[in-house]
Amino acid sequence: MVENQQLVYLYCVADKEPKINGLGNILYSIYHNSLYAVAGRVEQLEFGEEGLKKKMADFEWVKTRAGLHEKIIERVMSDTNVIPFKFATLFNTDDSLKAMLEQYGQEFKAILRKLANKQEWGLKIYCNPEKLKTRFLNSQEKISEIEDEIKTSSVGKGYFLKKKKEQLIERILNDRINECGRESFELLKELSFEARINRLLPKDVTEREDDMILNSAFLVDRDEVDDFQNMIDTLKVHYESKGFLLDCTGPWPPYNFCGLLGRKGQNE
Amino acid sequence: MNNAVIKSKEITLLEILDRVLDKGVVISGDIVISVADVDLIYLGLKVLLSSVETIEKLRGSPFVGPMQEAR
Repeated sequence: MVENQQLVYLYCVADKEPKINGLGNILYSIYHNSLYAVAGRVEQLEFGEEGLKKKMADFEWVKTRAGLHEKIIERVMSDTNVIPFKFATLFNTDDSLKAMLEQYGQEFKAILRKLANKQEWGLKIYCNPEKLKTRFLNSQEKISEIEDEIKTSSVGKGYFLKKKKEQLIERILNDRINECGRESFELLKELSFEARINRLLPKDVTEREDDMILNSAFLVDRDEVDDFQNMIDTLKVHYESKGFLLDCTGPWPPYNFCGLLGRKGQNE
Repeated sequence: MNNAVIKSKEITLLEILDRVLDKGVVISGDIVISVADVDLIYLGLKVLLSSVETIEKLRGSPFVGPMQEAR
């Protein structure tokens, strides 16, 4: 294998022979140490260190390549358990990939055993704080009381009462947001094998007008998926009437649940 | 299975950033480009993601205690 012009791109590792029909011209599988690696050849020009630096600034390219990465893993996971690898995991040769399968074999097998018969689902919750405020402003007695008091107060006292009112509104707002996020997460966690909370993402990433208030992922046993989705429906009915939007997606490759245990900095 | 929560066919920018680029197994060893190097060249993406932490700080930590990290 001379191929200075090409690199080996690893998409995922599977425990059964992956069916990659139809993707055969861009993919192949490598069997080693009782594991199957799904890989493809990519051009050094695009994925070499220099090339990748340039390409990562080209958002359309990133979007297309990352979309392909996802599509390939989804195809493989339709009939086997998979460990998804991070975007642009590259090797010089098939042999260096095999060496990696040798080195991490035991860990990969343990992860695949854990993932057997399970699916990753995601829940992101959004809300518009201003709209949420208008929903509870009229129904809060304490706030109306302060408002009445402001009307009959001096300028100075009125100033402090207004401040008190604003603080009260913020507190109620935070309580509402926390209640929605915490309750949704806890109830779904009970139906999951594992669950995790990820960092919130800003609007230029979410491409939504509302703020993200929860970003969570769940590893759900296949037998529990129906219950999990029923709970999502229940939460939607309950919270969407209160001004929240629940966005549940899946099943995903288990991106959030295949960290290599005990290795610092892995999958974090 | 409930149809209401089936994932749409086209993967969104959001999910690309949140899953494909941010998660998945990371290995070291005999790979061409170390992932640390790749991280550094996320350029625009990195800027987007760093603004996330700012938002969280501004908001205060909404979920504290046992919910904080479910790793």
